[in-house]
Amino acid sequence: MDRKQVELLQGTLDLLILKTLRLEPLHGLGVARRIEQVTRGTFQVKPGSLFPALHRMEEQGWVTSTWGESENRRRAKYYQLTRAGRRQLETETERWGRISLAIARALEAT
Amino acid sequence: MPLLRRFARLCRNLLRRSALERDLDAEVRSYVQMLADEKMKSGARPDAARREAIIELGGVEQVKEEVRDVRVGHFLDTVLQDVRHGLRMFAKNPGFTAVAVLTLALGIGVNTTIFSLVSAMLLRKPPVSDPDRLITLLSTNPTPDDEANRWPASAPDFLDWRRQATAYSGMAASSPDDFTLTGGTEPQRVAGAQVSANYFQVLGVEPVLGRAFLSGEDQAGHGRVVALREDLWKRRFGADPKVLGRQVKINGDDYTVIAVMPESFRKLWLFPAQLWIPLVFTPEQLGPAGRKQRLLNVFGRLKPGMTASGARAELATIARRIAAANPDSNQGWGGNVMTVQQYAVQESNSKTALLFLTAAVGFVLLIACANLANLLVARNSSRQREFAIRTALGAGRIRLTRQLLSECLMLTLLGGGLGLFFAVWGVAVLRSALNWNEYSVLTAETVSLDGPVRLFTLAISVAAALVSGLAPALRISQRDPGAGLKDSSRSLTVGREHRRLQSGLVIAELALSLILLVGASVFVAYFIEETHASRGMNPHNVLTASVTLSGAAYKDGARQCDFFENVLRQLHTSPEVQSAAVASDLPFTFPGSARFTVEGRPVAKPEEQPSAGYFAVSPGYFSVAQIPLREGREFTPADNAGSAPVAIVNQAFARKYFPDQDALGRRLRIRHENSEGTKWSEIVGVAGNVNEFLGQDAPRPQLFEPFLQRPDPSMNLVVRVGTEPTAFAESLRKAVWSVDKDQPVANLKTMDRVVQDAGQGDDLMTGLMSAFAALALLMAAVGIYGLIAYLVARRTHELGVRMALGARRGEVLMLVLRESMSLVLAGVGIGLAVSLGIPRLVTALFSGFHIRSGWILAGTPLAVILVALASCYFPARRASRVDPMVALRQE
Repeated sequence: MDRKQVELLQGTLDLLILKTLRLEPLHGLGVARRIEQVTRGTFQVKPGSLFPALHRMEEQGWVTSTWGESENRRRAKYYQLTRAGRRQLETETERWGRISLAIARALEAT
Repeated sequence: MPLLRRFARLCRNLLRRSALERDLDAEVRSYVQMLADEKMKSGARPDAARREAIIELGGVEQVKEEVRDVRVGHFLDTVLQDVRHGLRMFAKNPGFTAVAVLTLALGIGVNTTIFSLVSAMLLRKPPVSDPDRLITLLSTNPTPDDEANRWPASAPDFLDWRRQATAYSGMAASSPDDFTLTGGTEPQRVAGAQVSANYFQVLGVEPVLGRAFLSGEDQAGHGRVVALREDLWKRRFGADPKVLGRQVKINGDDYTVIAVMPESFRKLWLFPAQLWIPLVFTPEQLGPAGRKQRLLNVFGRLKPGMTASGARAELATIARRIAAANPDSNQGWGGNVMTVQQYAVQESNSKTALLFLTAAVGFVLLIACANLANLLVARNSSRQREFAIRTALGAGRIRLTRQLLSECLMLTLLGGGLGLFFAVWGVAVLRSALNWNEYSVLTAETVSLDGPVRLFTLAISVAAALVSGLAPALRISQRDPGAGLKDSSRSLTVGREHRRLQSGLVIAELALSLILLVGASVFVAYFIEETHASRGMNPHNVLTASVTLSGAAYKDGARQCDFFENVLRQLHTSPEVQSAAVASDLPFTFPGSARFTVEGRPVAKPEEQPSAGYFAVSPGYFSVAQIPLREGREFTPADNAGSAPVAIVNQAFARKYFPDQDALGRRLRIRHENSEGTKWSEIVGVAGNVNEFLGQDAPRPQLFEPFLQRPDPSMNLVVRVGTEPTAFAESLRKAVWSVDKDQPVANLKTMDRVVQDAGQGDDLMTGLMSAFAALALLMAAVGIYGLIAYLVARRTHELGVRMALGARRGEVLMLVLRESMSLVLAGVGIGLAVSLGIPRLVTALFSGFHIRSGWILAGTPLAVILVALASCYFPARRASRVDPMVALRQE
């Protein structure tokens, strides 16, 4: 396994998925690949955590799903942000900003 | 998530499960396909690409299981799954299910039954308002004759307490008494009480009709008023609402009815009164001598913010003050308080018996749980593969444990439900058996399967599931799934860890049932001894009844004598009557006692004089009761008020006070109540010993005086008849009423019944304990049989090999028996070690209990070993008869 990969922090997976879906609806593999891509391979999202996360967010009402056709003409389930999902993304982003700032400060302080 | 949305999701998840599952499956599969497409693009061969994709995914089923975990209502969903799965398992193993449920039902049923009794006797609050703040105040004796040391109060003490105490918003006294109610169809003897005017306020009980007593109505010179209890009002006055203001005759005097009190009063067995009249103190009671007459029950209601311990300290101070001012009557006397409920529990004297019963049924349930655990372990070991496969498919340890526990819980809940039905029957049996005195009858009425009892049933059902299911469940879920798959049914012997658990359970079962059997045997032995002990009299064919004379006509002793002599004369005219007499107390009913001084010996202070059981009897009493006279003569009609005082003593008396001399001709001065006797009575006879209560260890000295010289308004008729005694009851009543139609006849009972009732429920205790012990032994036998049969069945293959290699039948039989009997002996050994202490424990906790325990400690283990041997023998014999070829082929 690549040394540069790190374990996802609890709660950050939701943020990443929401962020990924903000641009366009994606299917599960698409979400995983996009996250890999934008984090330059630092995060590899495994199906074992991706699917529960997607389904939980759907239960929460942040995303909805529809069946569509993939680029390779495969039937695939696409996930799309809802209005509640957008709001959630905002609060999560803001929260993350606070956390990273705090941690950065803490690290600088020493 | 908003609640509504959550609920909608829950409904969708639960109701549209199959659609949801199809969707999930399609989604995961499409993911795999797309992943495989990717891999093919980068040059992998199609089948290799697909394999890699699935490996990368981590297993289709595992991912699906993880998704299911996050669904709303997932927990409920899995519970339903477990229930469905459990029901399927039960349907597949009806024998297992039936045995498990039935055993549990028996165990839970007996526990529920006994708890209904505990709840009725110890936990129920008295039917007064705010019962926890209702306090009873007691005197404590400087030289207590029992640990409880509860004494009533005297009138001056009560008045001092009421004046000086600050902890109470009200304090009231009651003096229980029996009253004669006349003026209706027939005279009636009714339990009642004289009470302070504020009595009902203190208790917090409102009348159903009319008004409570007014303050001042308990002062001398006020009109006579009475409050009736609802059931008496219904029975005697036909529930007439116009009863208020009516005159009734009580003890020959006219009283005006002012109130009807609720029937709920009777549930409080401490207050058996059916009617109440104001308590008016006489000048004599209020005088200095009155302090020695301790007859009043005192109640107080605590003020808000006051505690019982504060009230106790205050009362102790007040009592010290009174003792200092009145050393003659109160030297050393103290005060104590307790809530009415605590008092009722202490007074019912049932705690120890209930403790034993509870322990006994607890053991029965433990044995049932051990059996269930054994069954589960046995069944689980044949389900190894199933568990291994479930684990491989993504079921976690917790999930597996939960599944096993919920199966177990379903069994125990079914058992609990059925047990409740058994308990309905058990309660009916209890109710009919609680009949030996008025208090036990009142208890019987309150025993029921009410809310708290049913809650208890539910609680022990759940507890039983945990106790019996947890160990097997953990054991299974800890196993490595790979081992489970490999460890197939081909293995020749049962896994060692299973056998250790099962052996432990069997040992525990045997130990528990032995302890229970020894406990029960102690009671049975005592009961047998009690029922077969020499009575010292002949109770058969004797009818008894009590008559307490009331009314102005009988204030005088001579008139009392006349009345009873006339009744006896009347009785003797009846052809059925062989002989008849009167006695102040019946045998076996805890008689009164009297202190005395023996002539020629130093006169002690009144409190230090010796005392003996005391009876006043009419001429002919000894021949009616068939109590043998060892020396001297019986009383005759000539021993009357005009002749020299005489007395008869029993052998125990003679042996104790005249060990080396002849008792006949010696003289005693007998002291009654608080008045020193003035005359010497000559001993004219020595009678055989008759016990004062059942199971008495050594006879107590007793003293008899002629009724004609010592008349009393309250006597018992003792009539020996040639026919069935109960058939004579009506004639006896008529004989009394032919002399005076206003005198009630109470407690009509055969003497046999009096003796039986004197057992105070010993027969019930013995019956229950032996039933529980038998149940325990039966369950343990079923448990041993089940385990040995199971082990043997698992070893059929091995035994077949042994026999094929030349082992003989007898050897195989012995092999199986030896192994099982080592378990049995271990269990019996442990049980016996614990049991050694039981006889001593019982004799220490039950006063008057005495038994010879040697044969019990020798006999019961033998019985257990025999039963265990029988339950091992049959499976062992079956094993030895198996055809080796069949055994070897069997898989």
